[in-house]
Amino acid sequence: MAGAGGGSNDVQWCFSQVKGAIDDDVAEADIISTVEFNHSGELLATGDKGGRVVIFQQEIENKPQCRSEYNVYSTFQSHEPEFDYLKSLEIEEKINKIRWLPQKNAAQFLLSTNDKTIKLWKISERDKRPEGYNLKEEDGRYIDPNTVTALRVPVFRPMDLMVEASPRRVFANAHTYHINSISINSDHETYLSADDLRINLWHQEITDRSFNIVDIKPANMEELTEVITAAEFHPHQCNTFVYSSSKGTIRLCDMRASALCDTHSKLFEEPEDPSNRSFFSEIISSISDVKFSHNGRYMMTRDYLSVKIWDLNMESRPVETYQVHEYLRNKLCSLYENDCIFDKFECCWNGNDSVVMTGSYNNFFRMFDRGQRRDVTLEASREGSKPQQVLKPRKVCADGKRKKDEISVDSLDFNKKILHTAWHPQDNVIAVATTNNLYIFQDKVN
Amino acid sequence: MGQRDIVSYETSVRRKSRIRTASTMCRLDVDCAVKGPEQHGNALPSSRYMVGRGVKRKLNDCEDQMLDLPYPQQRQLVLDLCLDKLQSCQRRAEPSLHRSVLLANTLRQIQQEMRQEGGLHLESPPPAPATPRHSPDLPPVPSDRPSTPVAALSSSLLCEDDNDAQSTCTELPKGTGSEDGGKSQDLLFGSFEITNSTSYLTDLQLDDIFEDIDTSMYDPSDFSVLACPPPRGSSGASLGNDYNLKAFSTSSSTLQMCLNDLDHIMEILVRS
Repeated sequence: MAGAGGGSNDVQWCFSQVKGAIDDDVAEADIISTVEFNHSGELLATGDKGGRVVIFQQEIENKPQCRSEYNVYSTFQSHEPEFDYLKSLEIEEKINKIRWLPQKNAAQFLLSTNDKTIKLWKISERDKRPEGYNLKEEDGRYIDPNTVTALRVPVFRPMDLMVEASPRRVFANAHTYHINSISINSDHETYLSADDLRINLWHQEITDRSFNIVDIKPANMEELTEVITAAEFHPHQCNTFVYSSSKGTIRLCDMRASALCDTHSKLFEEPEDPSNRSFFSEIISSISDVKFSHNGRYMMTRDYLSVKIWDLNMESRPVETYQVHEYLRNKLCSLYENDCIFDKFECCWNGNDSVVMTGSYNNFFRMFDRGQRRDVTLEASREGSKPQQVLKPRKVCADGKRKKDEISVDSLDFNKKILHTAWHPQDNVIAVATTNNLYIFQDKVN
Repeated sequence: MGQRDIVSYETSVRRKSRIRTASTMCRLDVDCAVKGPEQHGNALPSSRYMVGRGVKRKLNDCEDQMLDLPYPQQRQLVLDLCLDKLQSCQRRAEPSLHRSVLLANTLRQIQQEMRQEGGLHLESPPPAPATPRHSPDLPPVPSDRPSTPVAALSSSLLCEDDNDAQSTCTELPKGTGSEDGGKSQDLLFGSFEITNSTSYLTDLQLDDIFEDIDTSMYDPSDFSVLACPPPRGSSGASLGNDYNLKAFSTSSSTLQMCLNDLDHIMEILVRS
């Protein structure tokens, strides 16, 4: 059974683990809103609608038969719901994005953000504690000092490993609109945060000040027709970043050119195909995610129906376009009516930029092998949840002639959407988030 | 490896209709025991989010029906949906500027098309309400041309660089005036700003805040058929909404429907 793979060998994707409740009653707070591997792939962070962050750690196992598993490493409440008294609006605690900082010392750091506030969290391990006090009893009560006859210096002894998460910085009050992206610069000092109309540049150490580098808010809000949907720093060039818009354009900006990067250096836009024009053309052209390739030569954008790969040197059109679920093109009115057309799917690259992945409906997700020009549709479901069970490729039938094992478009469950996926930076390990479950798949180890 | 202490936490307070699950351990730690297919005997476990228990949300037949309609009716359907969604935007607990901008753009595109087509496609043009609002500078307006409140709302919401719309706007003496239209646009998009109560004094968007103070020039009794808009956050259908929905389904005159809907929206926008 062929899968999409990096390199010349076919990868067979197998179920590894699934995290989360089996219960069909999904609590709103448990809805996963972001998934991110750290730079080594050892840690996997998820954020949810309830403002919590759960970090899994890969256990290093010596067994050659199976890959290591991910187990819970730390859990903490990152953001709390707030109430804006002036506007009478709730500020959601939902974690919109998590980004890991490159590791500098024993501790791990990540940025997590909700609509309004970004926080820098330090996750550190403690595996020793001082023992041997002779001033206290076991339960902490102080001993009567008159009974103490000897001087004893406490010594550090090993203890059960404890993982602590503590907020180190809170970057607040810089965004009037909802934050949709954060991206850490390759200079290891700064990062950007983007909301619907503005992008700010922060220093990781300084919380009371940020620089506004992009502002597309019109003087007259009546003239507003476009918003920022995603932004990311270039992986190697610390002066370069891109941001995508609701009109399907991507702008590349160079911070060396000017302090305020309202004027782009490059504008990436594909002319619309007139034969596909409909009332919903603009809505489906809105870009929901933009990601640079690891090598920094390409970037990938996700709009409602497709994934596009752009060469940074060519602005006129993408170099590759992959249809994620073209069978939905005739269903746009229904999807507009039930609001699915506004769903924001993310996308990701594999470690060597040869395969890209994105989610779809019915708990399907798609992988496109750029080199071998092959694609596959897989499903994250309980049915495929036996250990090491190879995932069977799925197929959606667009017309009436449904073959065996195919699923017709009308049978798709549009409540089950995979919006967030992540790929291990080196290995063929992927994390796929359904509404409230996290699936981990790995390639078959022989 | 040693045991892990899972940092226990309590999730946040109960707020309105959003009930939190207080849990003392990470809910993703439930490493589900692998179950065979026989355990899922009855049905695929389906997410209940947004849909009642046991109901799998499928595509309805909207699209099939829609494609059978002639183009103007398709367009009207989309227009109606657009207006519906824009209205509900105001009531949502989590307003999205992105969504509103996309809806407004779609609305503007449709209205632009309708305006361009003018009197060409209407089956039964309604009598244009007799108003003193037309500027003598405007080109002669056929009786079935979209009436000024439509134009006013579209231009105020979307602020086109359209001479006709501009001049129409400036002539409106009261009611759905361009000022209110402009304010309603700002109200629509201005309400997405998150201000912090400690920083608002230094926040330059002070004007947006004060636009909540309604200095509407028109007489609310003009809209006596419409109930007060529902309080923010409530999901109950108001009389106005019922009226609106009935208008959608029963009126055979597309433009008269637009007129009523848009007046209703103006009322809601200015009052909120």
